[in-house]
Amino acid sequence: MKALTLYEDRNTFIHHVHPINKLIYIFIIIVVPLILPLFPVLIAGIIMNTVLLLIANVFKKSLPIFGFVLLILLTVLIIQGLFHAENATPLFHLGPLLFYKEGFFYALQITLRVLNIVAAFMILVLTTKPSDLVETLVRKGLSPKIGYVLQSVFQIIPQMLSTMETISDAQRSRGMETEGNLFVRIKAFLPLLGPVVLNSLIQTRERAMALEVRGFSSLRHKTFLNEVKNYRYTTFIQFTLWLVLLAAIIWRVVL
Amino acid sequence: MKKIVVENLKYRYPSTEKLALDDISFTINQGEFIGIIGQNSAGKSTLCQALVGLVPHFYQGAYGGKVIVDGIEVKQSSISELSLKVGIVFQNPFTQVTGSKLTVYEEIAFGLENMGLTRIEMLERIDSVLDLFDITAVKNRNPFDLSGGQMQRMAIASIVAMKPDVIVLDEPTSQLDPQGSEEVFRAIGELSNQGMTVVMVEHKIEKIAEYSDRVLLLHEGKCVDFASPADIFSRDDLHEYGVVAPVYTRVCQALKQKNIDKKTYPATLSEAVEVLRGKIHD
Amino acid sequence: MIKVKDVSFSYQAGTEIIKDITLHFDQRSTAIIGQNGAGKTTFVKLLKGLLKPSSGDIIIGDSSVNETTPATLAKQIGLVFQNPNDQIFKRSVLEEVLFGPLNIGQNPELAKENALNALKMVGLENRLEVNPQDLSLSDKKLLCIASIIAMDTNIIILDEPTIAQDHLGKQKIKEIIQSLKEKQKLVMTIIHDMDFVAENFERTIVFQQGKAILDGSTREVFAESDILAAARVEPPSITQLGYWLGYKQVFLTEKELIETIKTDSKIAL
Ligand SMILES: Nc1ncnc2c1ncn2[C@@H]1O[C@H](COP(=O)(O)OP(=O)(O)OP(=O)(O)O)[C@@H](O)[C@H]1O
Ligand SMILES: Nc1ncnc2c1ncn2[C@@H]1O[C@H](COP(=O)(O)OP(=O)(O)OP(=O)(O)O)[C@@H](O)[C@H]1O
Ligand SMILES: [Mg+2]
Ligand SMILES: [Mg+2]
Repeated sequence: MKALTLYEDRNTFIHHVHPINKLIYIFIIIVVPLILPLFPVLIAGIIMNTVLLLIANVFKKSLPIFGFVLLILLTVLIIQGLFHAENATPLFHLGPLLFYKEGFFYALQITLRVLNIVAAFMILVLTTKPSDLVETLVRKGLSPKIGYVLQSVFQIIPQMLSTMETISDAQRSRGMETEGNLFVRIKAFLPLLGPVVLNSLIQTRERAMALEVRGFSSLRHKTFLNEVKNYRYTTFIQFTLWLVLLAAIIWRVVL
Repeated sequence: MKKIVVENLKYRYPSTEKLALDDISFTINQGEFIGIIGQNSAGKSTLCQALVGLVPHFYQGAYGGKVIVDGIEVKQSSISELSLKVGIVFQNPFTQVTGSKLTVYEEIAFGLENMGLTRIEMLERIDSVLDLFDITAVKNRNPFDLSGGQMQRMAIASIVAMKPDVIVLDEPTSQLDPQGSEEVFRAIGELSNQGMTVVMVEHKIEKIAEYSDRVLLLHEGKCVDFASPADIFSRDDLHEYGVVAPVYTRVCQALKQKNIDKKTYPATLSEAVEVLRGKIHD
Repeated sequence: MIKVKDVSFSYQAGTEIIKDITLHFDQRSTAIIGQNGAGKTTFVKLLKGLLKPSSGDIIIGDSSVNETTPATLAKQIGLVFQNPNDQIFKRSVLEEVLFGPLNIGQNPELAKENALNALKMVGLENRLEVNPQDLSLSDKKLLCIASIIAMDTNIIILDEPTIAQDHLGKQKIKEIIQSLKEKQKLVMTIIHDMDFVAENFERTIVFQQGKAILDGSTREVFAESDILAAARVEPPSITQLGYWLGYKQVFLTEKELIETIKTDSKIAL
């Protein structure tokens, strides 16, 4: 059973940024390209995100996730490049296939946007302990129940992975081959899915009991084991982030 | 002072036809150490869950009668509010982990945070239970990366740290090493001496005999008997309920050696030694 | 049947959980005892091939675990997990027990026969269609035992089989162990119940902090009270009673002690 989180415990500047600022950052990354739908803005976002991931020393860790997202986006790029409704100007040939400019750039824009959003979320998830984020929000008045749901969302992937590992151990120890070539692995993967979902549901129910018998829904005022962390340059970063948004709006209005 | 009052409690799980608890009534006083024994499926875990409100709040089904803990009727209170007064340690420690904390230390703090304790108070209590249940060495480990016994210790520690008035333990030592289970019994016994009311389900009959003030014998959802260990274990119909007396009692029965009261057989090691020692040539 | 050679293992670099263990297992039924966290579960997962040693080798029959997959080994060695929730994943009792036999290549009729026999041994033969999740913990554990027995492997390892069992449950497990012994199988059991060890196992191995510190016939091992105390193990209740009554010899069963007292006794019994 592995730790139920994607969080990477490192000691970098990004790790010491207030979780709320990381949330605002995600907001900006989503909203600014909507206000200013320009390629350079998207590119700037990509560069910014890459730099931040590198500073946080989690770039490598985020690669598999980008790989997965890119794989999906590539299909979008191909389909739109070939078949987008407004396709008129030929752009390039790839073997017998003709890609059109309109569709290609449309898809490229989507790709960059999605990549940016995913990257911004990766910065949050990989550099913030889930409990720190949730505690910050609960301290600011968020209901602990919503906080718990939020935290569970963070944990879904690692939790599924660990359930998968457990069931896979149960299966291979009773003779089901899970190691070997791609075909064997795929064959082993399918019978995993049903039990994983089912066992996860059962676990969720058990967890709910575990929480209740420890007073989770009691009406008392909650306190926290962890002290409020000393986050760095919180006001300054927040101010800068809002400034970027304001600048984007002004640019849009003036232009 | 009456701490727990159970009156004509009946309960049936939704998916079954048989009553899991069948017209049970008893009273427990503050500070008593109560052992609950009975064969598998007797209804021990169900009774535990009824004492803390999981039955009927979490498990639906047919429910009748009353459970009153410290003047509060369980059915009328929420599980969470009740949990601050009545703690429960589940039969399978794996199901007790909240899954929302990354270390053993934080896991134990979970209940304390919900109680609204100050940080200082939390640190003090956590350090003391880590020490009491001998898991200080793994305090920074992920709660899921523990051995079975370590997880069971953590489960007990996380409830004891909340210092409830009443603590219900469902086979809390099933995965502990022999000295570990002795230490847990001793620690819980000590808490009971300090006024905590203890209800413990166990198959380790020798330990139940040694530590319980009274023993409740459960069979097919019914309360067969509720009396002192010596009385319970001297019953000659015990085997009909799937229960075996402590080995000390069995040896004395085979040798027909009763306690000085001439009625009951010894139930503990020290009683047995006292009764037998004089009878043996050196 | 199993040769363990200089095996070490760690979950995280830096903390060795199994420290250079060398052991041979023959057909003697064997109990593994020792403190919580000593590494017992980890050790049997290594035998099963679910974990790979960081150094050393384990030979099961004639294949090395380093070169075989657990799935292949499953034909020779079965393991009942400590936590039933980690083992159970099917939706009915019967399906759960059939999974192993079918996967190791038993034909469907034989698999069904083995499964039903195993379920009968643990007393679950009337609950074939029940969802395992609705069973009590003691029944879940018995179900896990049945799922492994049905595979009819030559080596069977039980990780704390008596968890949650009442007297009758323990009796069933005792009978199962006896019948496996009669079939010349190696039965290895991790267990904290010393009374059960005394009654059922020929050989006992004591683990402490990743090492096997004591290994011998059960009677010899329970005579070493100092080493046992250091490994946080207590002698069986009956042994303790004998000790406090002033006997030098080690008693393993009630009968032994009762007979001895009867012959020694001043009083007419
Ligand atoms: N979730 C459930 N749904 C349906 N029936 C249940 C459920 N849990 C328990 N039962 C049934 O209720 C009865 C009492 O079970 P309970 O778990 O209370 O017994 P127990 O005395 O704790 O047994 P054990 O010693 O095995 O823990 C049994 O017949 C059991 O099968
Ligand atoms: N997945 C894991 N990751 C890291 N450490 C682990 C993991 N599983 C177990 N450990 C540690 O390895 C040591 C040995 O654990 P193991 O489960 O083998 O003990 P055990 O002898 O079976 O104990 P028990 O009697 O409590 O079941 C313990 O200190 C435990 O905390
Ligand atoms: Mg129970
Ligand atoms: Mg273990």
